[in-house]
Amino acid sequence: MKVAMLGWEYPPFKVGGLGTHCYGLTRSLADKNVKVDFYMPKTKHKFDNDKDNLKIIEVGETEIFPYDRPEDKELVGQFFEAVYRYNDLLVSKVKGKYDAIHCHDWLTMKAGVAIKEKTGTPLVLTVHSTEYDRSGWIYPNEWFINIEREGMEKADRIIAVSNFTRKVIIEKYGIPPEKVSVIHNAVHPIGEGEKRNIVLFLGRLTIQKGPEFFLKTAKKVLDYEDTHFVVAGVGDMLPRLIDQAIDMGISNKIIFTGRLTEEEVKHIYQISSVYVMPSVSEPFGITALEAISAGTPAVVSKTAGFSEAFKNCLKVDFWDTDEMANKIISILRYSPLRETLAEQGKREIELFTWDRVAEKTLEVYRGITE
Amino acid sequence: MTSICFYFEVHQPMRLNRFSVFNIGKNDNGFPNYFDDTLNKNIFEKVATKCYLPTNKLLLDLIERFDTNFKVSFSLTGTFIEYCEKYSPEVLDSFIELFKTGAVDLIEETYFHSLSSLFDDLDEFEEQVKLHRQMIKRIFSYKPQVFRNTEAIFDNRIAKKIADMGYKGIITEGTEKILGWRSPNFLYKPVNADIKVLLRNYKLSDDVGFRFSAKEWTGYPLTADKYARWMSRCHGDIINLFIDYETFGEHQWTETGIFDFIKHIPEEVFKHKNLDFVTVGEATERYNPMGEIDVPWAISWADSDRDVSTWLGNNMQIACFNELKNLGRKIKKLENNDLLYIWRLLQTSDHLYYLSTKGFEDGNVHAYFSPYDVPYDGFINYMNILQDIKYQMTA
Repeated sequence: MKVAMLGWEYPPFKVGGLGTHCYGLTRSLADKNVKVDFYMPKTKHKFDNDKDNLKIIEVGETEIFPYDRPEDKELVGQFFEAVYRYNDLLVSKVKGKYDAIHCHDWLTMKAGVAIKEKTGTPLVLTVHSTEYDRSGWIYPNEWFINIEREGMEKADRIIAVSNFTRKVIIEKYGIPPEKVSVIHNAVHPIGEGEKRNIVLFLGRLTIQKGPEFFLKTAKKVLDYEDTHFVVAGVGDMLPRLIDQAIDMGISNKIIFTGRLTEEEVKHIYQISSVYVMPSVSEPFGITALEAISAGTPAVVSKTAGFSEAFKNCLKVDFWDTDEMANKIISILRYSPLRETLAEQGKREIELFTWDRVAEKTLEVYRGITE
Repeated sequence: MTSICFYFEVHQPMRLNRFSVFNIGKNDNGFPNYFDDTLNKNIFEKVATKCYLPTNKLLLDLIERFDTNFKVSFSLTGTFIEYCEKYSPEVLDSFIELFKTGAVDLIEETYFHSLSSLFDDLDEFEEQVKLHRQMIKRIFSYKPQVFRNTEAIFDNRIAKKIADMGYKGIITEGTEKILGWRSPNFLYKPVNADIKVLLRNYKLSDDVGFRFSAKEWTGYPLTADKYARWMSRCHGDIINLFIDYETFGEHQWTETGIFDFIKHIPEEVFKHKNLDFVTVGEATERYNPMGEIDVPWAISWADSDRDVSTWLGNNMQIACFNELKNLGRKIKKLENNDLLYIWRLLQTSDHLYYLSTKGFEDGNVHAYFSPYDVPYDGFINYMNILQDIKYQMTA
C-alpha cells in the first residue's frame, strides 16, 4: 500500500490539530508497512523522521496557512491566487503510482481532486474542520464552502474526526452518509507535572474557540476562588480579549501568553489544575486529549466532538458560564474530584492511540483499493 | 423437591435537584428543597404505568389462577412507599391486595435503602430497620421475618445484628467468594450468628434480569418452558430468584416478551413434579442450613465485583460517604427532625451509585440508571448539597 498524503503543516511547524494528526497518522501508518509520501509547503524547519516508509516532500512555498482568512489584511488580493498556485504546484509535483491520495481539509482539496481526475487514483479526504466551524457559524465564506463541497463530492471516502462533523458533512454539504466514516483523534501522552493554581485556555483566539466565554467564567470563579487564568495562544480576538479583561477588572488575574513553543505548551498543560475548552464549534478538540494526558482535568464544550468520544471529563454548554464556573470551582475546591478525574482520564487516554487511528484509516484505504 | 423462591426488590430513590456552588449558603429560610420533585414524580408515574401496575395485576391473576400455589416475595423501600402515598395510592393498594392473597411475603430492609450498614457503628442502621418495620406494620399489619440489606450488602457483622434483632432469615448474593465450590441452592448459616441465609442464584436470576433480551446470549430467546426445564434439573432445596421489580416492563420492555414469560412460568413449573414455589418466610421454615459461611468483608449483588466498590469504589464516593457520615454525628445532636430526614434521604445508596466510575460493562448499567451525564456531575451536586447543609448548621 502506497499513499500520497497532501498536507500543509507538520511538526515542529504547526498551528493546529491538523498538523498533530498528520504527524501521528503518518508515523503509525509507516509502522504498519504503509508507504507514505507526505507533501507539504516548504518551511524553514527541519523534520525529524526516522521512518523508512515515510517521506516528507516539500513542494515550493506558500504564504497561506490553514486557518488564514481571505480578509486578513496582509493577504488581500493575493489570497485566492496563492491557494490556486500551491494546488497547481502540488498537481505537477505528485508523481508516481499511488494506491490512494489522502487530503486534509480545504487547502489541498483542489489538488486532490485534480490528481484523482488525472490519474484515476482513489481520493480520501479527512475533514478536521469545515468552514462552518472556523467561522463559528457566523457568516461562513462561500468560497471555502464551495471548495469543500467539491472535494467531498469527488472524494471516494471521507473521514470525519467526530460524529458531530460527520453530521455537518451530511447535512450541510449533502454528502451520502455511507461515504463518511468517523475516526476520533489520538494523542501522544505528555505526562504529569507539578500542579499550580492555574486554569488554562489554550487555542487560537478566534470566535470558534470561545475565549470570551472563558473570560466571563473567570470573572465568576474569581468571586469565589483565588486562582490564575492563563489564555495561551494568538488570534484576531487578542486585543478585544485584553480590553474585556480590563473592563471586568480581572486583568491582574489573567495572563495572556501569546504564541507558545511546543515545549512551553507541554509545560503549561502540566502545571495547570483545570483545562477549559469552551469552543463554540469544535470538530474534535485534540487539546483536551493533550491536557488530560498531562493529568489536567478538562471542562469541555458539549458540542465538541471530543465530548462524544470521551467519558472522564466535565461537559458544559459553551454559553453557560455559570455552570462552567460551578465546575471549575468544584475541581479547584474538591480534591477527590480532581484526583478521580485525573486518574480515570489518564486511563481512558490510553485508548486514544495513533496506532488505532492508523488502523482505522487503513481500513478506509482498503475499502477503496480492493 | 426443589422450591423456587421469587423475590422482587421494589425501590425508587429521591433524586436530587441541581445544586451549584453558587447555591451554597444562599437560602436564608431554612433548608432548600434538595430533591427534584418534578423529575421524581415523572419517573415514578412512568414506572408505575409501565411496571408496577401491570406486573402486580399479572401476579395477582396468576396467584388466583393457581390457587395461591404460585408465590412471590417483595421488599418495598420506605422511599418507594412515600412515592406511592404521594403520587399513586393505587399502586400501594395493588400491593396490599397482593399481600392479602396469603401467597405474598414481605421482606424487611432499611427504610431509606441506605448504606448505614457500612457506618462505623450500627445504631443508625438499626434505627432505619425499625423505621421500615413500623412502616410495614402500619400499612400491612405484618411483621417480616426475613431481612435483605440494601443491594444485599452482607458481612458477619450485619448478619449478627439482624439475628440479634430477631429475624429468622437474611438474604445475600450466592457468590463464589463465600461459597467456593458449594451450591447457592441451599440455606446456610453465618459462622457467628444463628440465622438462615438465603443465597441468590445469580446465574438464573440474571438470565431474567440482564440477559432476557440479549440476542447474542446462547439462551436467547428465553421461554418459560425452557427456564422451568433448567430449574427442574437443578440440585438443591431452593432456587432463589432475586430480581429488580423494574425488570418487568421497565428494564425489559413489554416488547421483549417479559410479561408473556412471567405469565407462563407457573404452568410450566407445575409441569415438573419436583418443583414448587415458596415465599422467603416459608423457605426459612421448611429448610435447614447445609453449611456455614464466613464473610468478614462485605459482599453485595451489585456489579460484577459483588462487593461494595459500586458505592465506595473511587475517591469521590469515599469522600462523600465520609462527609455524610461525619455530618450525621452533628445532626443527631441537634434533634431537628427535618434535617434528620434530609440526611437520611441522602443516605440512599443510589446517590453514591451515580458517582461510580467503573468502566465498560458495569459502567453502562450505571449510566442507564443515572440522572447525570457523567459521575463527576453527580459528585459536584451531592458534595455541594452536603456543604450547604454544613453551612446551614453553623449559620
